[in-house]
Amino acid sequence: MSARPATPARSAPPAPSALKVGLVGAGGIAKAHAPAWRALGVDLVVHSHDGAADLAAAHGARVAGSLEELLDVVDVVDVVTPTSTHLDVATAALAAGRHVLCEKPIARTGAEGAALLDAARAADRQLYPGHVVRFFPEYALMRAAVRAGDVGTPAVLRFARGGMFPTWSPWFADDGQSGGVVMDLMIHDLDIARWVAGEVTAVHATRRDVEDGGLPHTLAHVVLTHAGGAITHVRGLWGAPHTTFRTSFHVAGDDGVLRFDSAGAGGVRTDLPPVPAGGQDRPAPAAGESPYLTEIREFATAFAASPGALTPDHPRHPRVSAVDGVVAVEIAEAALASIASGAPVALDTAARVRELGGAPLDADAADLATTGSRA
Amino acid sequence: MNSTTQPAVVPSADATPDATPDEAPLRVAVLSFAHVHAASYVRLLRDRPDVELITADPDAATSPADEVRGRPFAEQLGAPYVDTYAEAFAWGPDVVIVCSENARHRDVVLAAAEAGAHVLCEKPLATRVDDAEAMIAACDAAGVQLMTAYPVRFSPEFATLRGLVDAGALGTVLGGTGTNNGKVPAGRAWFTDPELAGGGALADHVVHVADLLDALLGEDAVAVRAVTNRVLHGDDPRVRAETGGLVSITYAGGAEVTVDCSWSVPDGAPTWGGLTLQVVGTGGTVEIDPFGARVDGLVAGGTQQAWLGFGANLDALMLEHFLDCVRTGATPGPDGRTGLRTLRVVAAAQESVATGGAVVRLAS
Repeated sequence: MSARPATPARSAPPAPSALKVGLVGAGGIAKAHAPAWRALGVDLVVHSHDGAADLAAAHGARVAGSLEELLDVVDVVDVVTPTSTHLDVATAALAAGRHVLCEKPIARTGAEGAALLDAARAADRQLYPGHVVRFFPEYALMRAAVRAGDVGTPAVLRFARGGMFPTWSPWFADDGQSGGVVMDLMIHDLDIARWVAGEVTAVHATRRDVEDGGLPHTLAHVVLTHAGGAITHVRGLWGAPHTTFRTSFHVAGDDGVLRFDSAGAGGVRTDLPPVPAGGQDRPAPAAGESPYLTEIREFATAFAASPGALTPDHPRHPRVSAVDGVVAVEIAEAALASIASGAPVALDTAARVRELGGAPLDADAADLATTGSRA
Repeated sequence: MNSTTQPAVVPSADATPDATPDEAPLRVAVLSFAHVHAASYVRLLRDRPDVELITADPDAATSPADEVRGRPFAEQLGAPYVDTYAEAFAWGPDVVIVCSENARHRDVVLAAAEAGAHVLCEKPLATRVDDAEAMIAACDAAGVQLMTAYPVRFSPEFATLRGLVDAGALGTVLGGTGTNNGKVPAGRAWFTDPELAGGGALADHVVHVADLLDALLGEDAVAVRAVTNRVLHGDDPRVRAETGGLVSITYAGGAEVTVDCSWSVPDGAPTWGGLTLQVVGTGGTVEIDPFGARVDGLVAGGTQQAWLGFGANLDALMLEHFLDCVRTGATPGPDGRTGLRTLRVVAAAQESVATGGAVVRLAS
């Protein structure tokens, strides 16, 4: 890595534990992030319209009565609010000179995401999207193996992700606020597909919504064509209330196949009621530490490394960039446009990465993708 | 597998008294050894006391010299052999099983219909929609049965899935994902010759999943979109067709399904491939893996993966159903029209690919 200083005694950046972190929002993903921040030993401050006191009490955090009060006392803001508010909260944080970790999708639209990029550059502060699946070891290891040539040239990829419909918070069911299952859930695999198989040139998608017994159900398919010739299928489900959260991938190249299924193997697998416990909103780790901790540690290490922005080749730059987050939103937007029109949508994410000032996909070091113990 | 499982018909005890002791064995002709399933059918049929078997493979002369076909293949299998289809038809078969190259199904089936033999035809039923229509018309006119060989339809796993759907356990079906991945066909070069096979992975592997969906949903496909590539085996000169493909199918009731039909199982894998189908409904999700039951592990000092599959013999179940229908006069399924409907999905997928990925609407 050329960017690393030649002197062996590199100046030790402040430890992540010295960071003061403000969590804006106290919903489901906040409950995954808060313990990760606390595991790093940071001071945590929470602000939310609802649930801040309970979250703070559970994780030894303090409550800020307003966003302004929070911005006054922190170095880093973790935006875990509903998607449609990401732009306003993150913009305010950047304008106040704070680094920002913004939960995925980085913004509700590509245009809002690009505005956030501009805000981060104007403030010279770091901005990252919470694409946590890049930190799940099964995905990180698969990507590293593909990058190492273990399956040859990627040819046909499949990704599936699904759980119960997120009825616990009404904004998920509002396409205007969340972008639905494509923008909220499948964006994980759209990002992974691009990370693994390269830039995207065409998107086709379908989505079916059925209400049954007063409960919403959504199934969507997205097919990507990649610039390198690979094709990818991404399937997303917000299903029945008992649905176990499940993810899987099958990556076939001209020299091998890599696959993973969180549900294991079986001749007939059913996910049907009744079940003893309720459905799940997010996956349990297959093994090892929480990928949310892996993710937060890597971002915290980056935040602690510099008061300003990091170049993409900085050794402490995380494995996912704000440009990656914006491009993921744009792929999801293309899928939504395809669902609306019934026709495929052409796009050119390679050109968009250049226009947004991002680094080419192959610019990062392969070792970024291996495990969570980096730096 | 219990005796009420549909559509596989297993001879039941109460059927035996109807069989007269002097009932003549069924005369079955296996026509062509082009398809790799021919050997499986011959092995299953040759030892049955209720079947008289004959085989013919006149197109063996057109196959590559390194492929064992024709009389030598019949001798390997221990099956009676004649040199021409004309001799086979002159023998008076009750039933023919057509295992010729896909593009040659039509001529053999038309000749069988003219000879008054019931037909079990390998999949895909034909390489062109109008061929399939002609085959159906000929069999209808001759009053003989035409069945399409979709063995996965007879798997106990599919019966379980179908039972759950029929019982309403899945509620409204939203859609699903099917996979039919295999090694690139080897040992029979015509499989990768688009003229004889009717295409590549699209022609070979979409129809099995399309047949299961046809049975499960009872609806026509109304829109198809497909993308393909040749990344897999792209440097193999014998492979002159697509090796990777993703097909998106919309059914009349709104179900949205994607099928991965790729020849993406590496050559060194311990098994040929498999088929899976996941169906998602408002009541939940069911997924089947009919070729997944196995003992696995490492053998040969750990240098090889073991795969000891122990699922049902689907070819045997399918033949049992077909022969039983012939004996009783029942209509076997999947029939020729099912073969045609599933072929239309393939044709639409090929049209979508030819137009750069457009969505192709099917006339109903």
